[in-house]
Amino acid sequence: MYQYSPEDSKFLVERVDQFEKQLKRHLDGDLDAAKFRSLRLRNGLYMELHAHMLRVAIPYGTLNTTQLRALADVADKYDRGFGHFTTRQNIQYNWIELPEIANLLRELSSVGLHAIQTSGKATRNITADPLSGLTEGEISDARPYCELIRRWFNLHPEFSWLPGKFKIAINGAKFDETALRIHDLGLRLVRNKEGELGFTVYVGGGLGAAAMVAAETASFVPVEDILSYLESAMRIYNLKGRRDHLKKLRIKFLVRELGAEEYSRLVDEDWKQTRDDPDLKLNLTHLSELEKDFALPIKPLALDGFEDKVDFNYSIWKKNNVRAHKVSGHSIVNVSLTKLGEAPGDATSEQMRILADLADQYSYSELRTTKRQTIVFPHVRKDQIFDLWQSLEKYGLASPHQGTLAQIVACPGGDYCDLAKAVSIPIATRVQQRFDDMDKLLDIGNLNINISGCENSCAHHHVADIGLLGMQKNGEEYYQITVAGETLHKTVIGKKLGPSVSGDNVVDAVEDIVNVYLDNRDEEEKFTEVFKRIGIKPFKEKVYE
Amino acid sequence: MSESIELANVVNNKNENVELVSVEQWIENVDELSKLGVGVVVRPSDDVKLLQDTLNDIALIALDFNNFDDGRGYSQAYLLSKRWQYAGEIIGINAHLDQLQFMLRSGVTSYKLLESYEGIDVLDYSNGFSICYQAAANNSGLKEKF
Repeated sequence: MYQYSPEDSKFLVERVDQFEKQLKRHLDGDLDAAKFRSLRLRNGLYMELHAHMLRVAIPYGTLNTTQLRALADVADKYDRGFGHFTTRQNIQYNWIELPEIANLLRELSSVGLHAIQTSGKATRNITADPLSGLTEGEISDARPYCELIRRWFNLHPEFSWLPGKFKIAINGAKFDETALRIHDLGLRLVRNKEGELGFTVYVGGGLGAAAMVAAETASFVPVEDILSYLESAMRIYNLKGRRDHLKKLRIKFLVRELGAEEYSRLVDEDWKQTRDDPDLKLNLTHLSELEKDFALPIKPLALDGFEDKVDFNYSIWKKNNVRAHKVSGHSIVNVSLTKLGEAPGDATSEQMRILADLADQYSYSELRTTKRQTIVFPHVRKDQIFDLWQSLEKYGLASPHQGTLAQIVACPGGDYCDLAKAVSIPIATRVQQRFDDMDKLLDIGNLNINISGCENSCAHHHVADIGLLGMQKNGEEYYQITVAGETLHKTVIGKKLGPSVSGDNVVDAVEDIVNVYLDNRDEEEKFTEVFKRIGIKPFKEKVYE
Repeated sequence: MSESIELANVVNNKNENVELVSVEQWIENVDELSKLGVGVVVRPSDDVKLLQDTLNDIALIALDFNNFDDGRGYSQAYLLSKRWQYAGEIIGINAHLDQLQFMLRSGVTSYKLLESYEGIDVLDYSNGFSICYQAAANNSGLKEKF
């Protein structure tokens, strides 16, 4: 696994030292609230309803067990024993005391973790397919590119004060588990006719009030030219992006106003002048070193005559939680942290330590975090899956919900976040209670429900089969329902079903939608396929009858 | 923003007073102004490309960094310094302490801080790092790792 060099670790400490001085000046009254806000956000720190929230990056979603234990220690020492795994490969703490922040960040820096640019108007944590390097048919492991691009935009002198936040995702896999085209900028690893590696670039995607699918601005940028292309894409945004209207800061508004063609033309014009600059060429030596660091720790394994245990509960769990690994003799195991009544993505420090111990024992000390707020054990020997399941079961972590409707994605919502217009987690709990029968869940199959507490769309409700968006109506909590969003094969923003429904009625509405799906489904048809075939009307009629 | 100085002139790095004109004034009267050795003040909303053809005649360029969250000045500094190789002084005016590291690496060659930062050790903020991860107009003092 990739490890920071002493130089990188020193950089992290220097950043903490600087932030500590800024914090001191703020507390002494020498740095006003507006400027301090701008600076603290670039160090991942938010002011929330009750305390400070800190967002720590998990670059490309890969963690080692030492890092996970450090995250558990932070939860105990500085929070209330919890951490919240987000949809963008970060972990958040909700109860941080301002004066303790520097010590907390120093502890994290000792294991190569940081909160740099996890918020603020700069390049955010770069996300990748959580199964990078593990699946058959992958073009290339995205993580070495994530790491090089993450570094390049780390405290970038020109692009650290952009009009709005800037989220990048990179996908190297056959299917898109990263939701590339809802990002400000998405990079898809591709090979051209000559077999050379490069990127297709998409710019201007985003969710929120004006959800947009990113436009393709370049079909093939060679790997070594990607940094100069990204700089040009950002330079046009930095110079021309809207700064006058709080709701139009993101690059999607610039791309929409200029038109994708004109935006691409301006980028190309700028890029022409820099793409041959040797300083801006991606360092292929570093790349190949990184590729070695990210190499898989396993070799093919012949498990002749191995037969897995037969156990009813194990089989159900295995069907939903275990996926094929490209290296023979191994599997990918997905662990759902979701239990009834608990926030999706929440983990206690005890759970984190258990997962770390189990990953040491069963998964070469490596874990991945996913967009669906689950934890992946990336390399588990097939003949050890049963043992792992038994251990997970013992600790209450063998929820077989992965990939079923009960694996709900939700933001912290009105219970924790001061931007939220409505609660998210209690709605998720009520949906889970409504669908608590495993036979029924297995019958429904893979169906995504995502719940965001406000238009910031942290739970990506637009791209779920069923999306709920919290809002206020006459002082009461209501939910806008969208249906049939998707990202895996292509990116589609979900359609609004109709008027928003009250918190009291929203779970009935979800059940109605699921029932219309089941009543109309042909065999293995997915939700989006049924929707395409029968249209929105039957769903509408049932919910609003 | 009231502490922002509306400069009619600025002291350059040779401790001389240089008179400043706006981008519009410069473009309209370039023949006359270029003989006078004046500088041009560039605001974030100005299109710095308008200066490209007459850069060599400008005695000094002052970029205004007063608005803390408006990052256009960094791209303006990059274009002037790195892309068009402007040889004169690029001074960052109304500058903020916490942004010096970004300004100086983007191509700003000197700065005038806002008054409220007087008495704070500038070195802590302009020179707090040992390495950098990207090419820039000026990486002096930093070990480059890219």
